[in-house]
Order: sequence, then C-alpha cells, then structure tokens
Amino acid sequence: MRSAPPIERLVANLKRLPGIGEKSATRLAFHLLGSAENQVQELADAIARVKKDIVLCEVCFDLTDRSPCEICRAPDRDTATICVVEEPADLAAVEGTGGFKGRYHVLGGALSPIDGIGPEALRIRELEARVAPGEVREVILATNPNAEGDATAHYLADRLRPSGVRLTRIAYGMPLGGDLEYADHVTIGRSLANRSELE
Amino acid sequence: MTAPAREALVLRVVDFGESDRIVHLLTPHAGRLAAIAKGARRSVRRFPGTLDVFHHLRVQIAERRRPGGLARLEQARLVGWFPGLRSDATRFALGCFVLELLDRLAPENAHPQDARRLFRFAREALALVERAPADARLRVLLELVALDALGLRPELDDCVRCGGGPPAGFLVAEGGVVCGTCAQRVAGGLLPVRPGTLRALSGALRLPLARLDRLVLAGPLLAEARELVARLARFHIGLELRSDGFLDEILDGPAAGAA
Ligand SMILES: [Zn+2]
Ligand SMILES: [Zn+2]
Repeated sequence: MRSAPPIERLVANLKRLPGIGEKSATRLAFHLLGSAENQVQELADAIARVKKDIVLCEVCFDLTDRSPCEICRAPDRDTATICVVEEPADLAAVEGTGGFKGRYHVLGGALSPIDGIGPEALRIRELEARVAPGEVREVILATNPNAEGDATAHYLADRLRPSGVRLTRIAYGMPLGGDLEYADHVTIGRSLANRSELE
Repeated sequence: MTAPAREALVLRVVDFGESDRIVHLLTPHAGRLAAIAKGARRSVRRFPGTLDVFHHLRVQIAERRRPGGLARLEQARLVGWFPGLRSDATRFALGCFVLELLDRLAPENAHPQDARRLFRFAREALALVERAPADARLRVLLELVALDALGLRPELDDCVRCGGGPPAGFLVAEGGVVCGTCAQRVAGGLLPVRPGTLRALSGALRLPLARLDRLVLAGPLLAEARELVARLARFHIGLELRSDGFLDEILDGPAAGAA
C-alpha cells in the first residue's frame, strides 16, 4: 500500500522501534492521524523531552530525571545492601519484584573481551568508592547469569573482597545463559531470596 | 524427541532484533558457521540457557536456503560448558581470546578432516585454560598453538629462504626465521630474537596441548615471544584482536593474580 509521504515518513520512523513491524507501524500511524491534535502534541513532546531530561544518577548510575535518583534519596531504603546490576533495565526488573529494599549500582554492562569491554569501561571504581567507607555490609552481585555476567561477578568479588564486605550472587531459578531483563518477577524474586556467598 | 546429532562449540552470541540471536559456531563437520536462533532472546523454552560462549552443544541446523543467507538453529542441547572459564575473570579472558582467534580465522565449509581437528583443538585449549596457571605465558603459548591449528604455523628452526641456519631473526611477512646470510638481503622488518626464545616456541609446537603449561618461558624470553607471536597474529588477522586489550588490562590489573 502507498501512502502520502508524511505518513510514509512516520511509518518508517515507527518501524525502527523494537518489536514494531510494517503492519504495527502502519496501524499506529493511522491511529495517530485519527487522534486529537493535543494528544499527538503531548506524545511528540514526551518523546522530544525524554533525551533532554533524563540523566544518570550520580550515586547508582540509574537513569533518572533528578540526581540522586528517587531510590538513592529514599530514607527508608537500606543503605547497607547494594544490588549490582548490568543495565538500568535489569534494575527495573529487580525493583519490579518489590522484594528488595536496599540500593543499587548499575555497572553499565559486563566484562566482554570480544566487544573490547574491560574493567575500566565499567563503573567498578565507583562501586569500590561506595563500599570503601564501611557502611555497606553486603553487595549482591546480580549480573546476568551468562558467561559474561558470571565472569564479571567473580571479577567484582576479587576486587571487593579486601574491603571485608559480604559478597553474594543471586541464585538461579534463572535459566543459565539468561537475560535478567526478560525473566519474570517471580523468578528474579526467588533468585534474590536464594542468593549465596560467592567464593 | 531424539537428541540432535551434530556437535558444536559456541564462539560468539550476538543479539539480533528484539527476539533473535545470531550464534557463531565451530563444528566438527563444517568448521565455522553462523546460524540464527529465532526467538532465543525472548523465549527460554526453545533454547533454555544453551546459547552462551564456551558451551559445547548438540545441535540441529537447517541449512541456509539461499547463498549469503543464514542457517537456522532449530534445536540445541547442552553437552558441556567449561564452568572454570566463568568463575575467574583471567581464565574467562583467555578463553574468549581463544574463541576470538577461532571466530576470526577458522574456515567456513572446512574439509571434514580439518574441521574435526580444529574442533578437538578448541575443546582441548579451553580445557587447558580451565586448569593451567592463567598468566602471560599461557596467553603467548595459546596464541602460537592456535595459529598452528589454524594452518598458520611459523617456521622456527630452519631459514625460510634457504633452509639453512642458524636463525638470525624472524621475518613476520614470511612467517619464519632467516639465517645470517639471507638476513643481509632482507630490506626491513627483521625481528631480532634469541635462540632460547625460538627453542621454547618450537618446543611448544611439538608438545601435546594438554602439557603446554609445563613449558618454561619467562623474563626477556617471554617478552620476545610475546612480540613475535603478536606480530605474526596481527599480520594474518590484519588487525588487533578485541580481546588483546582486555587481556593486557586484566593480566596487569588490580585483580591480577588474585585467583
Ligand atoms: Zn541512584
Ligand atoms: Zn637462509
């Protein structure tokens, strides 16, 4: 089907979004075309603002509109426990379980020799700096349960061990080789509850 | 359901789109091949934790339908997974280094005999990295024997130009040593190298892989060997390996030697 160029341009842009194919993109485009002017404007504003207004939390490196983020500011969250994850999406997945009341640290990825991602490319010094003052008693290493995530967890454990902090790794009801982001909340919740000491 | 018949070692896994993964495999029947695993990112049902580096699998692959297309990974079952490479960052880095060499240099559509030999090499090399001291020496020796397994064995004993000796230096572009007489006619690029270094490297090529870690190589000889092998690898690959920088960082880094 051929459409007017402005519609085709919108369809082409929507198609770049994850999980959106030609059919869905066309459906969305015509939906927008039929929507009220102010609704469309609000969506356009929201899209334009998200890149401008989102920053990294200076403490945990999650994405936030105000640094430190809400979790790092919350007085009722346990400051003695830090859950280390690879990406903001993983933090959201753990937070979604509602079962964790500590704070987070987003590494910004996992060690990956083949992608040239070494220790210096991750926020490891920042994690060491958070642990150093002695207030943190436990660091939960919740990197993904695949080879990179495992190796990263063990590397972090080697780096943090001298500080004397308790080091645990989330247990796997998680499938080996999995992706935290895509695991369901029950699975992650159970994994957190069954975490074990890392040797 | 019967177990898939073909063996494969996972060299690399790349996310593809929202739900798929592309898997680079080393197989004992066809050498290196890439296959798409449909739905592997989203559903754990079809590929429950099987598609990860170092994993030794039994697979069912549907051949690609058109030239330039991708084969389809239909089914995969875990046979072995080298856990020692995941519980130590240095071993992990060395294991990835071996995989990257294979991913860059292993031939596609390899002759079955070569494919089988290379597959065996890959498994033995990873097993070695799991148990041998993970250090700079192991890195150099692994790189050397990997190049050898990939058909790029350097000549370390006799002059590549006249067959004589003794060696006066190593000529990267010609993949071997040259004698004093021939060295005088070499325009440039001659790498000076001590007899002891050449003896050690030559010895490494004669040792069974499982005993490679018994070889003594240290101090200035190790530095020379590192230079020689790295330049040889770069000459054949055309660029530096990604895992090279990582290894530099981790072998000298704060957690080095902690394990
Ligand atoms: Zn924060
Ligand atoms: Zn000669």
